[in-house]
Amino acid sequence: MAKQYDVLFRLLLLGDSGVGKTCLLCRFTDNEFHPSHISTIGVDFKMKTLEIDGIKVRIQIWDTAGQERYQTITKQYYRRAQGIFLVYDITSERSFQHIMKWASDVDEYAPDNIQRILIGNKSDEEEKRQVATGQGNKLAKDYGMDFFETSASTNYNITESFTRLAEQVLAANKKDLDLLRASVTDELNLAALEEEEGITDGAAASQKGCWC
Amino acid sequence: GAQHPPLDPRIHRTFPKDTPKGNNLKSKKASSFHEFARSTNDAWDINDEDDEDLLAPIHPSSLPSTLHSVHQVPPLPLQQPSDTTREPDTGPADRVVVKSSSEALLNTNSVRSTLQKQQSLPVRPIIPLVARISDQNSSGAPIMTVRDKSRLDKFKYLLSCPNTDLEELRKHSWSGIPREVRPITWRLLSGYLPANMERRDLVLKRKRDEYFGFIEQYYHSRTDETYKDTYRQIHIDIPRTNPLIPLFHLPIPLFDILERSFRILFIWAIRHPASGYVQGINDLVTPFFVVFLSEFVVEDVENFDVASLPLDTQRNIEADSFWCMTKLLDGIQDNYTFAQPGIQNNVKALEELVSRIDEDIHNYFKRYEVEYLQFAFRWMNNLLMRELPLRCTIRLWDTYQAEQEGFSHFHLYVCAAFLIEWRKEILSMVDFQGLLMLLQNLPTIHWGNEEVGLLLAEAYRLKYMFADAPNHYRR
Repeated sequence: MAKQYDVLFRLLLLGDSGVGKTCLLCRFTDNEFHPSHISTIGVDFKMKTLEIDGIKVRIQIWDTAGQERYQTITKQYYRRAQGIFLVYDITSERSFQHIMKWASDVDEYAPDNIQRILIGNKSDEEEKRQVATGQGNKLAKDYGMDFFETSASTNYNITESFTRLAEQVLAANKKDLDLLRASVTDELNLAALEEEEGITDGAAASQKGCWC
Repeated sequence: GAQHPPLDPRIHRTFPKDTPKGNNLKSKKASSFHEFARSTNDAWDINDEDDEDLLAPIHPSSLPSTLHSVHQVPPLPLQQPSDTTREPDTGPADRVVVKSSSEALLNTNSVRSTLQKQQSLPVRPIIPLVARISDQNSSGAPIMTVRDKSRLDKFKYLLSCPNTDLEELRKHSWSGIPREVRPITWRLLSGYLPANMERRDLVLKRKRDEYFGFIEQYYHSRTDETYKDTYRQIHIDIPRTNPLIPLFHLPIPLFDILERSFRILFIWAIRHPASGYVQGINDLVTPFFVVFLSEFVVEDVENFDVASLPLDTQRNIEADSFWCMTKLLDGIQDNYTFAQPGIQNNVKALEELVSRIDEDIHNYFKRYEVEYLQFAFRWMNNLLMRELPLRCTIRLWDTYQAEQEGFSHFHLYVCAAFLIEWRKEILSMVDFQGLLMLLQNLPTIHWGNEEVGLLLAEAYRLKYMFADAPNHYRR
């Protein structure tokens, strides 16, 4: 049986309630857009397989609820992510200001080598814009992140931003990828690998972690 | 599930951000009310025939050993007469699902069908949450059987006594409340309305006045700095309320469901600062709203004019919904306080229960690293409302209100029964992804009274076996 994927990892969508996290995800995985999405409760799950650089990458994406009350629950998911989208809404100054809080939560709860990317969503709503593109650029630069303005509604920069984060995660785990290239039949489960490393707190774990 | 929300394609407008009073639906009024009635009438037109058949022998007072085998019977084929198999929410002409290109559409479809073939993954299309009346029985028409009639008479008798026997009322309500008497029965069972007939009018008036007193006292402060976050969050969520969506087709300037829902939630939130407003609470107001509205909407009257619903009536529905929702939330407030301990405990309890009643599923989850929190959080937070059509929630709540601690305790057993219900599908999944996609999108679209009746019967059996015997079956 042909293998379904070469590499598996987890991405997480974070940001204030109503910035469009679920819409970004639906556009990416199903190419659909629902203007009045019901609110996410807790954490939702979707997946998609991409091909990057000849590698079949299966991405599990966790879509979180933005309301503060849920953060006890959603923080439990940070630890096992390899990449994080920090999403704000360009029509909401408030959601932009909160990126700092989201970023510091990520620093506190996510693994050290987590890859992050900043997203300013709803770029089609230019007439309601409250956050200039330059502000987003600057913040991203300060944090050493890549930055995309996106629109789930018009399908602008969606695939680009997901692909970019996936590439970053791959690059950050290059060592393991090189191992993968040496092998043609195995799958690399970065998700499982990270966990192993987290538990044993040592590089030795990478020897046994993933080659299932 | 939240992945493919039950969007109603007829909703094209966005929620007006600063004026909850949308008034742009007027032109759609005639058809939209018809649609509304059609899409929600099943919510108050529940034929309890099936429930009675299934539940009569397992009334809480007697639990026959045959129950288990009843549950093992494979699901009945869903027979839907052709004249009632309408899919009101999938008309291609007015879908809001925007595809960027037809190619993409093809791709998505082919991916889906491939998935379906490979993993028999239940594909959940656009789900009409408040769906078809035809689900209720196989004949397609609500027929008042002799048994229904005598059940209804029993309720009518109990309700007309000078002092309604609440214990009797609970006993009869457990297996479903006839729609004609559901509004008053819910008011009584929730503890909102007194059992004493003479006091009812007085209490109703006092409570309704009290609610509008709160409105006067607090509502103007909704834009204050203190309540800014609450205001904003409810504002975002009202148009994203799951089962409320079909109700948006009412002529809103005449019956402002949005603003009334908003007020209910806002007043509740600021009067309960320990939890405040938490997403999901917005869903919980809808069943009350729909049931209390049902008193005034007669489905057979083709051109019922909602405009004729007097303001007082609208206000009463709002106040009654507020109080009944408050009673419900009183019992489960720790679901919504900091760190949501009620939910965390219930999810743990569910895990413990499942490990005892179905080791296969439990071990399967372990093997594929599925955590209960990943799917059951929403089950607890929204009382399964995101997993079931509204008509099923309403039927479920008949029983929850008939049970002592229905929402806070019995719900756990319902969740366990609900999980086991999908045993076959769960054990056929071959990886984590498949399991999570299944568990977050369980295909309950066709569920009606019969399925809920079976679910409740199984939940009752579990409760009977485990609630008072914590070590029973412990490994």
